[in-house]
Amino acid sequence: MMRSRFLGLLSALLAVATVLAGCGGDVAPRSLVKPRPADRPMPAGVHLDPEVPEAESGSDCGDPTASLAPRGLTIPPGSTMEKIRKRGRLIAGVDQNTYLFGFRNPTTGELEGFDIDIVREIAEKLLGDRNKVQFKALPTGKRMDALKDGSVDLVAYTMTVTCDRRKEAEFSSVYFESGQRILVPKGSDYTEVSDLGNKPVCVPAGSTSLVNLAKMSPPPDLVAVDDLADCLLLLQQRQVEAVSTDDSVLAGMARQDPSVHVVGEPFSKEPYAIGIPKKNTDMVRYVNAVLEEIRKDSWDDIYHRWLEPALGPATPPAAKYK
Amino acid sequence: MAITVQRTAEDVSAPTASATRVSPLQPPRARRQNRLTRAWSRTPGRLALIMAGLLALVAVLAGVTVTTANTKTDATWELAERHEPTAADVQRLYRALSEADATAASTFLAAQNASLELRKRYEDDIALAGQTIGLAAVDRGTDPRVAREIDTISRQLPVYAGLVEAARANNLQGLPIGAAYLREASHVMRTQILPAAERLYTIQADRVAEERADAVRFPYLAAGLLLVTLIALVATQVYLWRHFGRRLNLGMVVATAALIVGLLWSSVALTLHATSAADARPDRVTALGQARIVALQARANELLTLVARGNGAQYEEQFDELADELVGKDGKSGLLAKARQDAEGDVAAALANTAGATRSWLEGYREVRKLDNGGRHGEAVERAINEGAAGASAPAFAQLDAGLERALQASREQFVDDIVTAARSLTLLTPGWAVLSVVAAGGIAYGLRERLREYR
Repeated sequence: MMRSRFLGLLSALLAVATVLAGCGGDVAPRSLVKPRPADRPMPAGVHLDPEVPEAESGSDCGDPTASLAPRGLTIPPGSTMEKIRKRGRLIAGVDQNTYLFGFRNPTTGELEGFDIDIVREIAEKLLGDRNKVQFKALPTGKRMDALKDGSVDLVAYTMTVTCDRRKEAEFSSVYFESGQRILVPKGSDYTEVSDLGNKPVCVPAGSTSLVNLAKMSPPPDLVAVDDLADCLLLLQQRQVEAVSTDDSVLAGMARQDPSVHVVGEPFSKEPYAIGIPKKNTDMVRYVNAVLEEIRKDSWDDIYHRWLEPALGPATPPAAKYK
Repeated sequence: MAITVQRTAEDVSAPTASATRVSPLQPPRARRQNRLTRAWSRTPGRLALIMAGLLALVAVLAGVTVTTANTKTDATWELAERHEPTAADVQRLYRALSEADATAASTFLAAQNASLELRKRYEDDIALAGQTIGLAAVDRGTDPRVAREIDTISRQLPVYAGLVEAARANNLQGLPIGAAYLREASHVMRTQILPAAERLYTIQADRVAEERADAVRFPYLAAGLLLVTLIALVATQVYLWRHFGRRLNLGMVVATAALIVGLLWSSVALTLHATSAADARPDRVTALGQARIVALQARANELLTLVARGNGAQYEEQFDELADELVGKDGKSGLLAKARQDAEGDVAAALANTAGATRSWLEGYREVRKLDNGGRHGEAVERAINEGAAGASAPAFAQLDAGLERALQASREQFVDDIVTAARSLTLLTPGWAVLSVVAAGGIAYGLRERLREYR
């Protein structure tokens, strides 16, 4: 009798203790791992608060696109062209990083693109063989140096002809008219550069593209990269809302990614011309003669092959001569 | 220790008048003190106290020596079985990550005819890295620094692998954006993962050095106690001899002998232990590991100059810095020369032809740069990644890396050999001290009981 009462009391006490223990402390289920959001990777050489370079000195040379008039395709003895012919190959400074203009096809390792095709046309006319070209891949910053030291016969390198550059080298007539535009994801609301105020936009560091955007009001949040390809990467990772630079370059990006496109009107003029060492004026006239032929015969083909899918139909820019 | 020769002349059973009277009114503590003082004043009491004192001393000595011997043995084995392997595993992790960086660039450059072997090497490296992080994470609870580095590596490694696959997929479709992904991947590897792996390795390497220093530290406490006990034993014997006129007390002699055996044994064992442990040089293993990693990082830079296609100035700069670290500005110093200087036996043999291999690799690199700068990208890539191209940078580097790997392995073997020898020299010392202490205690009890019995 005593015993069972004692047991009853004990179990009652235990029950109360259990209940008390249960509701006494607020013990929430614990987690030993504290979740943190992922760290987004960034390419090397990204400048989040880029320096805006000084605009061009604005030296006046009249119309920088006006070149020397062609004098036919004949090759006089002692001319630069004859020297090249004797050598047996044309030495051309080119880009190998700009898709569709001058790039290395990863599958074949060969250089291809709009600029490369133009160079091959010149080799075809000059040497009778479009493959007799020694391509010299140059970093962007070394284009003018190669022209100054004469280590190349010509440079075909998405190069905008300006008065400053004309002081150091000769230029052919304009073979492609580019302009700064914007590249945005399809389905985004951006249609003009003015929509991008205070939005992160990728531009090449130290470029005129950067200067043009910095002048806007309000300006976009500029993200400058050392290597242009990183702009498309940042757009694919949605770390920027848009990329803005020459449409020729944007076209190359659009062709690599079907989910982005080039929109808006060009808001700068970037006439591309072939650079030639300053003393070789005979070569300038010769190249201009070849370009005349190209405008008539093959320009449309070349444009169609590389750029039309991204930039739409276009006609060759008219040549201007002094 | 009141057992030294502090005896009074009249202590032979003479009840002293001056002995304090015990009043029942005195507090218990004073009473106990009085009892001890009274016991000390009479021989049997004194003998009993001496016996108790000696036995207590031996008990403490037994505890300390057994623990010390046990700790030392365990620490030495731990060094060979846990700390060294952990450090080596982390070092291998670091190497696997550096190699993945270089191999990813190689497979990328080779594009469609990428050898299956290169692809496999990259995948094996990433798999090994994952495995090692998992294992190293077991250790993270004990050290917040370890936890932090593991956190970084385990968070960034999947990001890295994802970027590499994006690079590969784009590259296979002929899209130049692939190169941008590869450069970004490499950037994550170099700025986040590799530095964390390096810090993790430093932590583990330091731990090996600390544990080794701990293992060879002189056991002051045990040695001091042993000395005190021996002095007490000798003093007791002098006392017994003076008061009972007997030269030798068998029990006490046995006890003393047991402790002297222990002393001699420990001296020999610890000397052997310290010598072997001093021969084991974790810094040499570390130096070789460092040389191999620097070489791999330079190799990754060599390949990235080709991936960057004309925009690789930063990789060329880094290559030059790493090459300087490896062979010095004069081509004859740096990590490799240091490693060759310190090398013995198999390590020296493995390093024998690394000097030549390094020279041809660096020459091969300059040739690759020259070809690439001269617009001959295809040939440059061929010379840089085809391990079958005689005299080119790829086979020379493979030779250097293989030599360093063998040297590293041999160096680890030497280290573990020395540590195991050190551990073996302590064999049985722990149970030995347990047995010797029991013998000593038995001797003391036996020897003093003999004398005590004379008073019954």
